[in-house]
Amino acid sequence: MACRIPVGRADGVSPLQGRRTATSPVAVRVLLYLAFTGIAAAVSLTGAYGHDIPSDITVRAFVKPEGQRLRMLVRVPLEAMLDVTFPLSGPGYLDLARADESLNNAAMLWIGQEVSIYENGSRLSLPELAAVRASLPSDPSFRTYESALASTLGPPLPEGTQVYWQQVMLDVLFEYRITSDRSEFSILPGLERLGMRVSTVLRFLPAAGGERIYQFTGNPGRIMLDPRWHQAAFRFVWQGFTHILDGMDHLLFLLCLVIPFQRLRVLVILVTAFTIAHSITLISATLGLTPAALWFVPLVETVIAASIVYMALENIVAPGLRRRWMAVFGFGLVHGFGFASALRDMLPFGGTHLLTSLLAFNVGVELGQLLVILVCVPILRVLYRYIPGEGTGRARPVGAIILSVLVGHTAWHWLVERGGTLWEFDVMSTSPDGALYGVAGLLALMLVIAALAGWALTRPGRPLE
Amino acid sequence: MKWLIGTTVVALFLTLTVACANMEVAEQTDEVAEETASDAVMAPVFEVDPMWPKPLPNHWILGSAIGVTVDSNDNIWIIHRGNGNPNTELGAAQDPPVAECCIPAPPVLQFSPEGDLLNHWGGPGEGYDWPGSNHGITVDPMGNLWIGGNGGDDAHILVFAQDGTFLKQFGSPGARRAESFDEADPSWSGNSMDPGNFGRVAKISFDASANEAYVADGYLNKRVAVLDIETGTLKRYWGAYGNEPDDADIGRYDPEAPPAQQFRNPVHAADPSNDGLVYVCDRPNNRIQVFRTDGTFVQEKVLSVNTLGAGSTWDVAFSKDSEQKYVYVADGQNMKVYVLLRETMEVLTTFGAGGRQPGQFFGTHSIATDSKGNIYTTETYEGKRVQKFTYMGEGPVEQKDQGVIWPAASR
Repeated sequence: MACRIPVGRADGVSPLQGRRTATSPVAVRVLLYLAFTGIAAAVSLTGAYGHDIPSDITVRAFVKPEGQRLRMLVRVPLEAMLDVTFPLSGPGYLDLARADESLNNAAMLWIGQEVSIYENGSRLSLPELAAVRASLPSDPSFRTYESALASTLGPPLPEGTQVYWQQVMLDVLFEYRITSDRSEFSILPGLERLGMRVSTVLRFLPAAGGERIYQFTGNPGRIMLDPRWHQAAFRFVWQGFTHILDGMDHLLFLLCLVIPFQRLRVLVILVTAFTIAHSITLISATLGLTPAALWFVPLVETVIAASIVYMALENIVAPGLRRRWMAVFGFGLVHGFGFASALRDMLPFGGTHLLTSLLAFNVGVELGQLLVILVCVPILRVLYRYIPGEGTGRARPVGAIILSVLVGHTAWHWLVERGGTLWEFDVMSTSPDGALYGVAGLLALMLVIAALAGWALTRPGRPLE
Repeated sequence: MKWLIGTTVVALFLTLTVACANMEVAEQTDEVAEETASDAVMAPVFEVDPMWPKPLPNHWILGSAIGVTVDSNDNIWIIHRGNGNPNTELGAAQDPPVAECCIPAPPVLQFSPEGDLLNHWGGPGEGYDWPGSNHGITVDPMGNLWIGGNGGDDAHILVFAQDGTFLKQFGSPGARRAESFDEADPSWSGNSMDPGNFGRVAKISFDASANEAYVADGYLNKRVAVLDIETGTLKRYWGAYGNEPDDADIGRYDPEAPPAQQFRNPVHAADPSNDGLVYVCDRPNNRIQVFRTDGTFVQEKVLSVNTLGAGSTWDVAFSKDSEQKYVYVADGQNMKVYVLLRETMEVLTTFGAGGRQPGQFFGTHSIATDSKGNIYTTETYEGKRVQKFTYMGEGPVEQKDQGVIWPAASR
């Protein structure tokens, strides 16, 4: 049983709070400042001296159209509100009794005037500041719209709360007049000036129900919260286009296709087979038809590495064309799972056009692949021309073999590394469900790929172009 | 027929490739495993991040790292004692400097989730009494940082804002001096009944819903003390099993003896869970005692019962799921971390092993978790570092003692 402190006795105790001055010595601060000036640029400074621009800021926001009004709830750290003087008390506590006006000003200056919301393409007028509340950094209310709204509209922190001003969270509710909650809305956040690096988590709650989560850093441009199909398509074509150019393993796989075959028509067929295949699995993965187990991503990455090794070896040993599209199709199925993990966080930007977005992403990937081909083919032709031993007729160019060896060597290391990672998950001997999924998945993938590759490998192929 | 042969060849190739890649790993794993359970259990899976944090600037070096906490933005704060390092480590800090390196880093360091040093401060200053031996750092619901101390005269707690501004001090240094205190032969005595001062505080934790601070008090006193966060007013306190604390010396821990009815020094951590329980590290007694927030004893869990010396239960942290399903316990004597299922307090697995390489421990002192489930640890003695263990998700774990959880990709 706990020992209770008698009230009178406890009150008689006088903790040293308030007895001492709460200012750090200037000399120490100057020394610290001087020390900081020597720190490499990688070391960032955060608000230790005066009202500096904070390095990392996280903004949480909800946008919800309701009838004739649209509500936007935003939580921003108060330390991001430059050029506003907040009333302080003691060593630097926000004086909550006198803070309302400065909090309102900060909310309008840094959020209300910066965020632009559009209804059916027309920018809405400045919002009404419906509520402002200072919150503690540990306050969990911004996990859901309902709790955030209740907290922001709820009672303020007690005036005597001693919270250091730079650790205060500013919760704000803005209300915009709209004509209908079924209109098409878009938002230009404009919050990137709050810090050196501003990360935003924006949750849109459409009137039709559901929730879409947008996560971005800095200025993402105008986000169509209800994009039309062509707007979603355009965004995702671009995403797919840039994604393929960022993925080294996908690029090496493409290179394996290009190395032995330099006729564009043939390459377009192969790349299209690849695209159709990865579209199938990408859509399956997005619809949640893949295992959520920890081993699945390492499995996919391992097989992707294996696909490159195989293609490189085939280039060296016996590049055949007639059935190669089958092997490419099989490996494309696996690469699609790899694309899916990259696409997952972007899907909210497609609004309700999930399928359109997915297909557009694949179109973008296809365009990126075609660009790679268009760049690689002439380069390789020139390269082969100047490397001694260029084959003629049915012989293979030495350059093609050298390139394939280099690519295969790189992919072999990936394969060993990723295979080791996969092994760590001990797919074969885990829980019954895991074992079932693991063995079945591994065998199925290997058999599909092996069947297609074996078919292609053993059929007569065309001579090298 | 040909394609069938081709299929078989390719399938064999793929299978052999994976098998070869894993053969070496499997051998290494077998060597490391000391105990292997017959059945896997579902448990959180971690791997050490050898690249975290990034190197400190200015030839700064850490000393014994005796506190770690994570704030609401997932920034990591540690406290350490760089000035306690031997001169062989502080060549640049001597007068005159004898080498280009090293200089003790400021006591309090803030790191970003990516491992960048963001801020630093601490040490003696005007208006407060920096502990003789700072100990423990924890962020409160207001975002402030609370620091205890286990130096001779330390009988107080300090509170700072995140920018290093001093805010509050509770208790007075020197309050635990014995009546016959002699500077030439100093002595101190515990007083776990003192409502205004403490006895070498190890760590302070918080219950935001009740606006209360739980003080592991400590290295001289033998109690859990509960304070009002804002005023520091002592609200209640208790000893082992909820008994009234008694500061009498009960001798060394003996695993064969009946359970001690009092805490042994140090009482090293007292962390409230989000369902109204408090987990107390009774370190030399090798046990976690669980209480209700009013001090009513609920249960205890003994870990590595035969551990002598500094004991096995140094610090606790909870998994970040809403139910706080798992408890992580740092053990600086056996150099590892226990993973317990909180509902049953069953040890599911442990990780870590003695040593100074990534994933090993030397004096696993403090432990904390971030919102993503990652674990951070600091090490005292000659460990002198902070480590990150990345949360990989929940999965089957076969080994009761995993040893070093090296990154899977690099094994």
